[in-house]
Amino acid sequence: MTALLGTLGVGIALVGAIGALASLILALGSGRNERHSRAFFWIAIMVSGCVVAVVAMEVALLTDDFSLDYVTSNSTKSTPILYKFATLWGALEGSLLLWALVLCVYVSAVSLSFRDQISDRLVAWALLTMLAICVFFFGLLAGPADPFGTLSTPPVDGDGLNPLLRNHPLMAIHPVMLYFGYVGFTVPFSFAIAALVTGRLGEGWLMSTRVWTLIAWGSLSLGVLLGAWWSYEVLGWGGYWAWDPVENASFLPWLTGTAFIHSVIVQERRGMLRVWNLSLLLATFALTIFGTFLTRSGVIESVHEFSASSLGPLLLGFFAVILVVSVALVGWRGDQLRSPGSIDSPLSREGSFLANNLLFALFAFIVLLGTVFPLIVEAINGDQIAVGRPYFDRMLLPIGITLLLVMGLAPLLTWRSTSRQVLATRALGPAACGAVVMGAAVVMGAEGLGPVLGIGLGGFVIGAALRHLMLACRRNGWRGLTGRSGGGMVAHVGVSLLAFGFIASTAFSEQGEFQLRPGEMASVAGHQITFVELTDAMDGPNRVVRAVIDVEGRGRYSPAITQYPTFGRPISTPSVATSFVDDVYLSLIAIPEKGSDSVVIRVLIEPLVAWIWVGGLVVGLGTLLAVVPFRGSRGRRREEQAVTEQAS
Amino acid sequence: MKRYHRISWLLILVIVAGALVGSVLADDPPATEAERAYEIKATILCPVCDGQNVLESNAPVAAAIRAQVDDLVAEGRTDEEIRTWMARQYGSDVNANPPRSGVGALVWMLPVLVGVVASGLLAFAFAKWRSGREIEPSEEDIRIVQALREKN
Repeated sequence: MTALLGTLGVGIALVGAIGALASLILALGSGRNERHSRAFFWIAIMVSGCVVAVVAMEVALLTDDFSLDYVTSNSTKSTPILYKFATLWGALEGSLLLWALVLCVYVSAVSLSFRDQISDRLVAWALLTMLAICVFFFGLLAGPADPFGTLSTPPVDGDGLNPLLRNHPLMAIHPVMLYFGYVGFTVPFSFAIAALVTGRLGEGWLMSTRVWTLIAWGSLSLGVLLGAWWSYEVLGWGGYWAWDPVENASFLPWLTGTAFIHSVIVQERRGMLRVWNLSLLLATFALTIFGTFLTRSGVIESVHEFSASSLGPLLLGFFAVILVVSVALVGWRGDQLRSPGSIDSPLSREGSFLANNLLFALFAFIVLLGTVFPLIVEAINGDQIAVGRPYFDRMLLPIGITLLLVMGLAPLLTWRSTSRQVLATRALGPAACGAVVMGAAVVMGAEGLGPVLGIGLGGFVIGAALRHLMLACRRNGWRGLTGRSGGGMVAHVGVSLLAFGFIASTAFSEQGEFQLRPGEMASVAGHQITFVELTDAMDGPNRVVRAVIDVEGRGRYSPAITQYPTFGRPISTPSVATSFVDDVYLSLIAIPEKGSDSVVIRVLIEPLVAWIWVGGLVVGLGTLLAVVPFRGSRGRRREEQAVTEQAS
Repeated sequence: MKRYHRISWLLILVIVAGALVGSVLADDPPATEAERAYEIKATILCPVCDGQNVLESNAPVAAAIRAQVDDLVAEGRTDEEIRTWMARQYGSDVNANPPRSGVGALVWMLPVLVGVVASGLLAFAFAKWRSGREIEPSEEDIRIVQALREKN
C-alpha cells in the first residue's frame, strides 16, 4: 500500500515538474505574460507529489513495512524511533528523496517570493532552470533510484543501517542541514543561468539572490561542521576531519561558495569581476553535483560511501551537462560580461577580496586534486597510491595562514586604495590583539612556527573584526551588527575561534593507551583517569560492554564497545569529558576477553576542541545577522525623508 | 605617524618576533624512539579502514602494524626504510603521503605551479590596471569639477 502510494507520489511529482517546465517554456515562447502563472499550478502538483512520496516512505519506516526493499535493507524493528525517521536519508534512494524534498521547498519558496514577478523573463528562466533540475531528480527517483521497490516475500525483520549511523542524534540533523546547503545553491545558480540567457547581466540578479545565497552558505557551513562534530562524537578515533573523499566533496562547494559571497561584494560595489563571480557560482553548483556523484557511484572508497549503483554515469552525465551549458553560456555572453572599471591598488578592499579569491580557489584546487588524484594515477599506470591527511595538512597550512592574514587585513582597508599611514593607524589595535594572543599562546606552551603564527593571526582577525563592529555599533547602535558587513564580521570572529580550536587540537593533542584493571589509574598530560568498573550487558540482540571511568575533576564517563549481530566488527562508542580548556576523549580499543576484567583504553587530550563548535555557532549567528537587512542611520534618514515628503 | 604609534608598533614587533623564535625553539625534532614511532604511525594508513591511520584505527591489522613499527624503530631502521617495508608488505597505498617521484609527484607540483601562475596573472592584472589609470583629465572634466566646486 505505502509502496503504491510512494510510487504514485514520485510519478505525480515527475509529471508536475515536466508540466511546470513545459508551461514555462510555452509561456516564454508565446511572449504572453498571463500564461506564466500557469506554471504555479504544476509546481503545486509537483510539491504535493513529493510530499506524498516522503510521507509514504516515513510511514513505511515507522510502521516496519518490510515489504519495501528500502525498509528491509536499512531498518529493523529494534531501531529507535528517531533513527527510523532518519533512515529516510540513511541510504542512497532515500537520500535522493530528501534531496528532491529540499529542492521542492526551495522551488516553493522562490515561487512564493517572486510570484508577482513571474512574467519577468529573468525570474521565469530561473524558475525554468530549477524545474529542469527537478525533472532530473524526480526522473532518477522514478527509475534508476526507485526508493519504493518491493519484495515479493517480506522478511520478518530488516537488516538495519550501519550501526555507526544509528547511535547519535546528530544523524537526524547533519544530513538535512547539509542538503539545505547543497540544494540551496540551486537558487543562485538558476538565477545566474537566467541572467546569462536573458543577457541581463547587471547586478539585478545578484541582489535578487543575495539572501538565498547566504541561507545556502550558512546551511552548508553548519552542515559540514555538524558532520565534523558527529564524526568526533561517534567514530571514536578522536578526530573530526579526516580529509575523507566525501568530507572533501562537501567542503569543495563550501570553498567556492565562500569565495563567491566575498567577491560578489566587489561586483555589487564596483560592477567588476562579473565573469569570475558567475564562474564561481556555476562551479559551486557543479561541485555539489560532482560531490553527489563521488558519494553515490562507488568510485571512491570512503566511510561515507553509499552502495555502488548504476547512478554513477547518470550523475556524471548531469555534471557534464551543467558544465557544458555553463561554459557555453559564459562564452556566448563573454563580450557583455567584460567589466568596466579597474582595481587601483592591491592595498585596497577590492584587492583583499581578490587575494581572498585567489587563496580560496587554490585551496579548492588542492582539495579537489588530492581527492581525485589516486583515481587519476590508477587510470594512468595502475599504481595504487593514497593521498592522506599529511598531504592536505602540509599543502593547506600555508594557504590557511595566508587566508587568516588577509581576513584580518581586509576590514582595515578602504575601497579604491589605502595609504600606508591609514593602514598603520587602523591596524595598530588588531595587531596588538594578535601579538598578545600569540605571546600568551607561547607562554602557555604552544610550539611550532605554523601553529603559533596561525593562533596569532587568529587574534589579529578578531581584533580587526571587533574594531569594525565597535565603530559600526557606535554609529548605528545594535544595528551595526546586522547587514552583510556586521554579520560578516561576527562570522569572522567565529572563524577565528574555530581556527584556534582546530590548530590547538591538531598540533597539541596528546594520547596514551593503557591496559587497566578496576581501581588502576593512568595519566596523560596532567589528567588523571581511574578505571572504576566494567559492565557487560545485552541490549536487545547487541552485546554492550561499558567501562566506567573517573576523570579527575570532571566526573564519571563510560565509553562503550558494542557487538551487533548483523555487523562484523565491534563498534566503539567514545565518551568525551568536554571543557573549554580541553577535552578528555576516552574510547575502548577492543572487547575484553571472556573472564578478564582488564580493558584497553585510549585516552586523548585535545585542547580547545570545544571552540570549534562554539566558532561554528558564531558563524551561524553571523550569517543570520547578515540576512537581516542593514538599515544604518543613512537608510533611516532616507526613510524619514520619504515619510515627510509623503506627508507634505 | 604619531610617536606613540611608532613605539607601539615596535613593541608589537618585539612580542611577535619573540613568540615566533620561542615557538621554533620549543619545537624540537622527535627525541625518543617512542616519539619517532608515533610520527611514523601517523603517516601509515590502516589497509582495511578507508583513510584512517594506524594510530586511530581499532582494526586488528592496525594494531599489528603499530607493533611492527615499534619493532622496526627499536631495530634502528630509518623512517624511509620502515615506510618502504610497509609498502612492500601491505601495498603502496598504506603510505598516507603520496610518492615524490613518477606520476605521483604531480600532486605535489601542480598546486605550486597553479599558485605561482595565478599570482603572476593577478600581479600582471594589477600592473595593467595601474598603467591604465594614468589618464589625464580632459579640459572639460576639469571645467565640470570647477563648476561644481564653485557651486558648493
